[in-house]
Amino acid sequence: MMSVFQRMDVVLLLCLACLAALGMATLYAAVHMGEIAVWHKQGMFWLLGILAFLLMCFVPIRVVGLLTWPVYVLTIIALILVPLVGDIQMGARRWLDLGVMRIQPSELMKWVLMFTLAYWFAMREASSLRHLGVAALCTMIPAALIVIQPDLGTALVLLLAAIAMILAAGFPWSWFIGLLIASPFAAYVMWQYMYDYQKTRVLSFLNPELDPLGAGYHVIQSSIAIGSGGIFGKGYLEGSQSRLHFLPEQHTDFIFAVFAEEGGLLATALLFVLYAVLIIRMLMIALHAHSRFAGLICIGVASIFTLYVFVNIGMVSGLLPVVGVPLPFMSYGGSALLTMLVAVGVVMRVAIESTDKVSWQRPGSPLC
Amino acid sequence: MWNQLEIRQRYEQRIQVCMLALVCLLLLLFGRMVQLQWVQYQQHFTQAEDNRIHVSPILPTRGVMFDRHGLGLAVNKISYQVTFIPERSSDVQASLQALQALMSWSDYKLKQMVKRISQARSDRAVLLMDKLPWSVVAPLASRLHHFAGVDVVASTHRSYPYAALTSHMVGYLSLVRQEDIQKGYLRTEYVGRSGLERILEARLHGKLGYKHEEVNAKGRRVAVLKTVQPNMGESIHLSVDVKIQAVAAAALGERTGAVVVMDVHTGEVLTLLSQPGYDSNKFITGLETEQWNTWLNDEERPLLNRTTQAAYPPASTMKMVTSFAGLAHGLSLASGSTQCPGYIELADRKIRCWKKRGHGKVDLHDALVHSCDVYFYEMGDALGMKRLTAEANRWGFGEKTGINLPPEARGILPADKPKSGRKRWYRGETMITAIGQGAVTVTPLQMVRFAAAIANGGKILTPLLEKGEAVQVQRQVDVQAQHLMQVRQGMRDVVAKRTGTAHRALAAAAWTVAGKTGTAQVVKMSEDESRSFSDAKKHQDHAWFMGYAPYDNPQVAIAVFVEHGGHGGSDAAPVARRIVDALAAQEKLP
Repeated sequence: MMSVFQRMDVVLLLCLACLAALGMATLYAAVHMGEIAVWHKQGMFWLLGILAFLLMCFVPIRVVGLLTWPVYVLTIIALILVPLVGDIQMGARRWLDLGVMRIQPSELMKWVLMFTLAYWFAMREASSLRHLGVAALCTMIPAALIVIQPDLGTALVLLLAAIAMILAAGFPWSWFIGLLIASPFAAYVMWQYMYDYQKTRVLSFLNPELDPLGAGYHVIQSSIAIGSGGIFGKGYLEGSQSRLHFLPEQHTDFIFAVFAEEGGLLATALLFVLYAVLIIRMLMIALHAHSRFAGLICIGVASIFTLYVFVNIGMVSGLLPVVGVPLPFMSYGGSALLTMLVAVGVVMRVAIESTDKVSWQRPGSPLC
Repeated sequence: MWNQLEIRQRYEQRIQVCMLALVCLLLLLFGRMVQLQWVQYQQHFTQAEDNRIHVSPILPTRGVMFDRHGLGLAVNKISYQVTFIPERSSDVQASLQALQALMSWSDYKLKQMVKRISQARSDRAVLLMDKLPWSVVAPLASRLHHFAGVDVVASTHRSYPYAALTSHMVGYLSLVRQEDIQKGYLRTEYVGRSGLERILEARLHGKLGYKHEEVNAKGRRVAVLKTVQPNMGESIHLSVDVKIQAVAAAALGERTGAVVVMDVHTGEVLTLLSQPGYDSNKFITGLETEQWNTWLNDEERPLLNRTTQAAYPPASTMKMVTSFAGLAHGLSLASGSTQCPGYIELADRKIRCWKKRGHGKVDLHDALVHSCDVYFYEMGDALGMKRLTAEANRWGFGEKTGINLPPEARGILPADKPKSGRKRWYRGETMITAIGQGAVTVTPLQMVRFAAAIANGGKILTPLLEKGEAVQVQRQVDVQAQHLMQVRQGMRDVVAKRTGTAHRALAAAAWTVAGKTGTAQVVKMSEDESRSFSDAKKHQDHAWFMGYAPYDNPQVAIAVFVEHGGHGGSDAAPVARRIVDALAAQEKLP
């Protein structure tokens, strides 16, 4: 029997290492003219995250399955507490102070929901209304709680990830097409419940020149930054848009613009390849997973990464409205990085267990 | 159920769909990147450069104008500005109040400055005071450390050391107007508005420099990327000799008039004086409307350049034109003589000679020396208006001289036929035109050119204002040397003969002068109306003197015009005397 380290998926590990290096280098470029402390902090988070990642490599998927429901319930409670005792940041209550650290329950919920749905569909297919009903309930409760924070972006990512999960769990295509037809109606209902600043963002996305100094300014400046990088980029630490702070929130949500400005089209292509390899590798692990639960976990994690990459880059390059979604392993942010590394750690554990000849399942367990 | 084939197959198929979806989404993003970074690269790059680069102009130093001996006529004088950078002061109001005490500003001025500062960017210098002499800023400069944010900056402003003496020729600058900004001037620049400052603007102005600075998103300067130094404007040496001009001005004194001195060979103008002048420095330090209106409404019209823009009856100086015409057309009178009884009878009227007793028998020479009117009445009558004005036109009257100082007056030469529709001029009209009265008018500059042409053998020169400029001979007047000599001798004896009209003023001059006086009647006086000296100055005669010197080796031509100045011999000729003496004192022209 090989050790856990020997059984790790090398491709996934290499991808992660490359993204860590690129992420730290880009963050340095984004903050070196200002708060360099941010870079040091992110370095600490990486060290912490790697520890958490390694830790997860040793936690059997069976144990993860047992913890799923309790953690889900706890996270729901945390989400309920947020509007009551949470900290206000930028007009929205999103943070919960635990004394030791502050957490963002909505951030956590995305991952927990994936695990919950994976657990729920481990023994079921998403083809009966009853099964779907439970899954929908599991999704709608946290989604509603996140919307009232208000954090539309996270709620949207949550919903989309859940939809991907349900589709992967065997949701019939015919039903899916029916839902697609119904979605404009749903969009209309959502519009009615949106806050003004959210409406402004959507409108200014549809027509950035409408408000060039407000919400549209961000997208215009980041598009300029990306476009001015050209094919070969302006060179490391040479991006004028980022160096002179024309980019908004350039070390968090808009860090891709820094990267694209300094690295150019070649670098963005490289980054896309890295993300593609990372996510496809997760899906391949899902394909060869030893249990349906383990496989669905991988699919859930992969779909969240896909959504993060697409929504973030789509937003920064002006394809999508501005919503607060981090770029995996690039954006500054401790809790986001930690949760992502934990999630990749679980996927790695799936890979470890699946390469093993020894059966990890007990017959008759829902985790088979 | 994991082992059920159907479920397993569906699961694998769904994963493949997931992979496909991922690749599609990433390709979509990559397409967007190709669009932004490749297709629209140029546009985005330009926008990024616009964001970061702020171009600020550096004003060039304006070229200096010197006189022919290197004395500055339009120079750049060092002055001082007081500036204020708001962010360097913790309490703007207090800083300004401290300044107020030192600079003795009014409360209103203080308020205005506080308002201006509150509207300005906090990291850029705001100009509080400009064009201050050192004596004013010195107490501030020595205590600068007490005034946070305040700075004293050296700068230059245009200055005219000779002010009113050279005002019409040199002109002045003023702050840009809207139409200049459209031509590409900056809001802070000064533009030549009058005189040579206006005409030589393109050469004097110089080329703007630029400072390319990198600014951050807040507009704060981060670094200087590139500095293109401005090019100073061309410095120009004028032909004028300001010392001679000052002599002329002193000789004119308070009187209104014009003095032009020209090199008879090159056409270079040594003096171009119009009195009264105005202090052109006032335009630079900020002209108040009141001052402008004073100048505008002054009866002496200080803004008018009398040398080029005003035309007056030439009076007896016209007699040389009449002489040339008579000689050229071979009139018997030109080689013969006539009797002057003090008047000439025409139908039932008598037209008087200026000398009531008459000159007795006069030939051409005597007529010039004594300025006999009757002789020239007869000559004019014999010539007719057409031939008379044609001759005047040959010698450069009735046309612009082409001096590079527009606008320029043409003066008036009577047309071949009267405008009123009559078939021909009355004989009396032709007669008084022959002695420079009536409809004919000339500018002092045309007059000096005429004198120069007599001296240089009939070359009509373009008057030049720059030293060493290429000589421009407009034409050579077709005149016989013998005729020229006859007129020259007449002009010489105007001065040399005891009875000559300019003898008293010029006989003792340092150089032998040849010239002609003129006294232009301003109002026609009827026989019985006696001249009342209590009458307004505006009814007094204009005084002319024109001539050249030295007689044997002509160097300069001089025209003196004194508006309402009295008699040519007693009022204009003495001015010429002072100029000739001053020129002779310089010994020879450089």
